Amino acid sequence: MQTGNERTQNPELHLSRVFDAPRSLVWEAWSKAEYVKRWFTPAPLTTPRCEVDLRTGGVFYLVMKMPDGLELPMDARFVEVVPQERIVFSATIHGGVEVHTTVAFSDEGDGKTRLDVHQVYSHESDATRGAPQGWKATLDQLAEVVRSIR
Amino acid sequence: MSTADQLSAAFSALADPTRRAIVARLARGEATVTELAKPFAISQPAISRHLKVLERAGLISRGRDAQSRPCRLEVRRLKEATEWMNRYRAHWEASFDRLDNLLTDMKQEKTHANGK
Repeated sequence: MQTGNERTQNPELHLSRVFDAPRSLVWEAWSKAEYVKRWFTPAPLTTPRCEVDLRTGGVFYLVMKMPDGLELPMDARFVEVVPQERIVFSATIHGGVEVHTTVAFSDEGDGKTRLDVHQVYSHESDATRGAPQGWKATLDQLAEVVRSIR
Repeated sequence: MSTADQLSAAFSALADPTRRAIVARLARGEATVTELAKPFAISQPAISRHLKVLERAGLISRGRDAQSRPCRLEVRRLKEATEWMNRYRAHWEASFDRLDNLLTDMKQEKTHANGK
């Protein structure tokens, strides 16, 4: 059971950006591996492998390569895909921490597009208890704790 | 343990609401098992098990006093966990800078293609 307190916690990671391009073009940049390769991995990391099957249940796999040669794979799956509206993908990292990412597309007028990214962290044990919200609240709380003792 | 393993242990330890509450309590100062058990409707042995998990993850340490063994928060590990989060934000910001550039390129490519 979730407590009311946990449910009202702010999302873990939320950021937005407005792009000077129409929605169809921004969607295209997400929908093809050749494009995703060119933007998803921040420099100086490179993307030696990238697979994007942008549909519900599709694979979102990429390997990010660090300058020292270390490869960091991201093995995600698209949980929900609504063309030019919404992309939800989920990946498991660090042995059991699940990262659930929602990207919402919206028009900003003048041919501009806004992306809202909302990233939630849950843990397998939380999920099996039916309380994935608990984890997303955790790091907000931790951030507060760290600030208070700094 | 590698950094990733340590983070994993910290995240696993913090996935439990009781352990998060213990961490929040310890952020206010050291406490003994008895003190920590008070606000929870669970036994001291159960609290002790939670403390072991937190200790293994490097999130808390225990005092040497054999009687009370007060627990204290290991702030460094907690900071590592939150810094890891901040890196995710930085990742997105950097990726979106690149997406911005790519979209400019894509628009130009399309203009050229249409102009032919």
